[in-house]
Amino acid sequence: MAKKRGIPGLFSLLTYKKPKEEESFYIPETEEEKRQARKIRGVEHKVRGIIKPTPVSMIKKVKTKEQSKGKNKETAREDQSGEKYQVVNKDDGNILAEEISRDIDENMELVKKAFNAEKNKDIIIREFTVGGRLRAFISYIDGMADRITINDFIIKPLMIKKEFQEEDCSLDRILREVLETNQATKISETGEMIYEILVGNTCLFVEGCDYCVSSETKGYERRAVSTPQTEGVVRGSQEAFTENMRTNVTLVRRIVKNKDLSTEFLKIGARNQNQCAVMYIDGLINPAIVEEIKRRIKGLKTDFIAGSGMLEQFIEENTWSIVPTILSTERPDRTASHLIEGKAAIIADGTPFALIVPVSIATMLHTPEDTTLRWQYGTLLRIIRIFALFIATFIPGLYVALTNFHREMIPTDLLIAIAKARENVPFPTIIEVLLMEVSFELIREAGIRIPGIIGNTIGIIGALILGQAAVQANLVSPVLIIIVAITGLGNFAVPDFSVAFAARISRLAFIILGAFLGFYGISLGIVVGAVMLACTKSFGVPMLTYFAPKVSNSNDLVIRRPIWMQEFRPENVNPLDVTRQSKVSRKWVEEAPAPAEDSDEEEQEGKRESKTEGEETGGKEIKGREKKGSGKSGEGIEDEEDEEDDDDQE
Amino acid sequence: MTTIRNREGAFGTYEAICITSTLMITKIFYTSISVIIDIEGTSGWIGTIVSCLTTLVMFSLIYMLMKRFPNKDITQIFEAVLGRFSGKVLSLVFSAYLLFYAASSLREFVEMIKAYNLPYSPPSLLVFAFIAVCAIVAYYGLEGIARISGIFFIPVIVALFVILLLASPNYNINYMKPYLGYGLKETVVTGLLRCSAYDEVVILAFMINSMHGLKTFKRAGYSSIIITGITFSSNLLCNVLAFTYTGGRENLSGLFELSRAIYFNRFVQRLESIFLFAWVISSLVSVAIAFYLSINIYTKAFRIPGHRPLIFPFSFLLFMVALIPKNMSEVVQLNIHFIRQYSCFFIYLVPVMILFIAVIFRKRGDIVHGKKN
Repeated sequence: MAKKRGIPGLFSLLTYKKPKEEESFYIPETEEEKRQARKIRGVEHKVRGIIKPTPVSMIKKVKTKEQSKGKNKETAREDQSGEKYQVVNKDDGNILAEEISRDIDENMELVKKAFNAEKNKDIIIREFTVGGRLRAFISYIDGMADRITINDFIIKPLMIKKEFQEEDCSLDRILREVLETNQATKISETGEMIYEILVGNTCLFVEGCDYCVSSETKGYERRAVSTPQTEGVVRGSQEAFTENMRTNVTLVRRIVKNKDLSTEFLKIGARNQNQCAVMYIDGLINPAIVEEIKRRIKGLKTDFIAGSGMLEQFIEENTWSIVPTILSTERPDRTASHLIEGKAAIIADGTPFALIVPVSIATMLHTPEDTTLRWQYGTLLRIIRIFALFIATFIPGLYVALTNFHREMIPTDLLIAIAKARENVPFPTIIEVLLMEVSFELIREAGIRIPGIIGNTIGIIGALILGQAAVQANLVSPVLIIIVAITGLGNFAVPDFSVAFAARISRLAFIILGAFLGFYGISLGIVVGAVMLACTKSFGVPMLTYFAPKVSNSNDLVIRRPIWMQEFRPENVNPLDVTRQSKVSRKWVEEAPAPAEDSDEEEQEGKRESKTEGEETGGKEIKGREKKGSGKSGEGIEDEEDEEDDDDQE
Repeated sequence: MTTIRNREGAFGTYEAICITSTLMITKIFYTSISVIIDIEGTSGWIGTIVSCLTTLVMFSLIYMLMKRFPNKDITQIFEAVLGRFSGKVLSLVFSAYLLFYAASSLREFVEMIKAYNLPYSPPSLLVFAFIAVCAIVAYYGLEGIARISGIFFIPVIVALFVILLLASPNYNINYMKPYLGYGLKETVVTGLLRCSAYDEVVILAFMINSMHGLKTFKRAGYSSIIITGITFSSNLLCNVLAFTYTGGRENLSGLFELSRAIYFNRFVQRLESIFLFAWVISSLVSVAIAFYLSINIYTKAFRIPGHRPLIFPFSFLLFMVALIPKNMSEVVQLNIHFIRQYSCFFIYLVPVMILFIAVIFRKRGDIVHGKKN
């Protein structure tokens, strides 16, 4: 803008002028693009190289329009550089549409194009001649495949083989006679071929064949099986899952050596092409559960699922529930025990956890140790855990409610003790509690984030110093330190990580309710929590089954009965076979005890003697004597009858 | 006649017993005890047994009506017997009564909690919080209500009897005398009238389609009446034993006073906390049941497919009706007096009248499996 001079210039000083906008953050390219894009309204994203997702319905609409008008609409959408815009994702669509041809050069071009070989140096294409006659190439991703397998068992046999004869397609013969890999499959679809290469397999293309052979060569770095990090036990297995799905499946299969244990693989995540395994015991699990799991996983349309954590969020029923509806475990033995109960396990590649469905809230409070320990100890542990959950959820809220609203309910001595401790504290109880809760959460979070030994120490040091200093500074009362500490301990005693989180969130809600409405508020919270939990389902199974709705107990809910009394599987998952073991699982209690070593010889002699007699009497006497000794005369008679029948048959 | 698809969920005998018993037993926490002791004196516990027996007879008549019209709930029976218009009107009257019942119970509860525990909290906040929770429970429908009733019924009953047990050192057996209170006639007549205190059992007739048939209806009805009868009778007896009939009639909440009277040593004393949780939770559940059923009957009358859109307007109505009485004495002397003493004329007599009309005009339900029911 030109400067005004003279009188108008003076006037301009007096009159209001709109201040110039400051160019704080300016990207000239974007502006340029925007300007260009304005000329071609509606396709701005194309100018910036962004492929805008187009709904299927829209593509159809465009297609039908094109068909009806008989001209290509896209030709009208040309920018200044003359580039043609396409509605569909041209790269993916075109490549997947292309087929593996008989021409080796075309196939090589297809692989190069599919993996963007010019820029992407991970893809390896090795060209060679089979038996000195046929042109061929292998393709794999560097780092994902095992080089030794490729060198020794694919390339070497193929190049050594000399007596090759002309056939329609020699790959059949190669597959049959030459390749020395344990798994090799024919692939004719481009999409499948791409996926095989992506997962670490090697695809072999030979001239004259319109398909390729994928050989099992997966060989990437993986972590070894180690001890559980979050679900440690004193007695019991010390193995945990790893990030590798195959290893995890094997770990489970090693425990459940059952021919009916089935593993189905499903793809998850459109862009990262991850895999997950759905494991279940066929003939035991309710088929509706498996169908539902597969339906949900197959119905996922998302680009990236890194592992079980993300998968869990995608397939859970109620995303608003603070209580998890899927059990996550890092232990193969726990997974196996759930499979045996008629549940399903979902193992995703990339995370060392298996997801168990369907579950109830009682399952979340169980640990593998309950089963490995004797029933009295297991029951005690469970009761402690339930108490821990109660403390972790309610104690701070109850403390706030008691001190604010219901002081008359506190026994006088205790009331005096609390009042004395709070005498010099300037804050109201709610502020005091929130202050300590926040500090505790900070210490906890910092302890997890700080690596190694320092992380552990900061927890203890932080808690000690902060607590002590806060009491000395009269910021909080010592009673509250005890309350927060015991709450923290309670929270750590909850075996499931997600349930512990739910307890933390609920605790905050109960503190607020207790602060505003006392016990009345806490009761309101309990009812709301109960109704929400009662109506939450895990793959169709109510989370509070056994309590509401009532179903028969499996003797392994809260009080663990002796292991021989657990005759039935949990009924809430409706397994096809409810019986876990026969009514008398310990047959030995009904049998005669084994004879002692001293009497063994006598017994042997007795047997020898009676054998001669038995030959005459048909062995009745011996059986009768044995049964008399065991005191089961009734069964002895049955056996005698059986014996008689046998003799008759003879 | 087109039938509305049952989307309310299903529940079994246990849940049905819990729902009905919770609704009936909750009044033991309120002014019921003092009112009965006031009317009947020391024989209140016998009077309530008379009420219980009367209710069993009345329930049998309702059962006969339901048996006559299988696969139909009582609103559908009203329409089948009286015609569409009259049936709907009767259903709406029941809906209004349940709303009135919920509102009166809510107000009684709020007045009492203000008197005993939260004297400084504004009543509107207490009412609002209560209604909000009832609305949430009603949102989850009958299945949710059945489940929370199933969860809380046992703890509430246990808490109740724990209070009675712990207060036992205060009992004096001589306070039972005179055994027949103000006389046999007074006891029996009041007992017959006070069968209204058990008339909540009729809600089973509204929920019959969610239960597994008439057998569950019958079992749940009789069981819940007997459970409630035992609970009422034992509570009345314990109150008389602890406070005498002169003291018992003065207490606003007999059970609360009983829990206050607990004293074992300096540490174990005044266990109102047990009482408070049981009281609040059972009140919440019972008001939520009545509130939900009010909406449910309304939706059935007008054939509205879902109950959820009506929760907010009905919550507003509940709030309004709850605030109509001016004070505690008005709530007790008008609303509660009507509900617990005279509502039987409406609750029991209407189904019985319907049964007579059905018998006289030979009206029956549909034929099921080729057999007349």
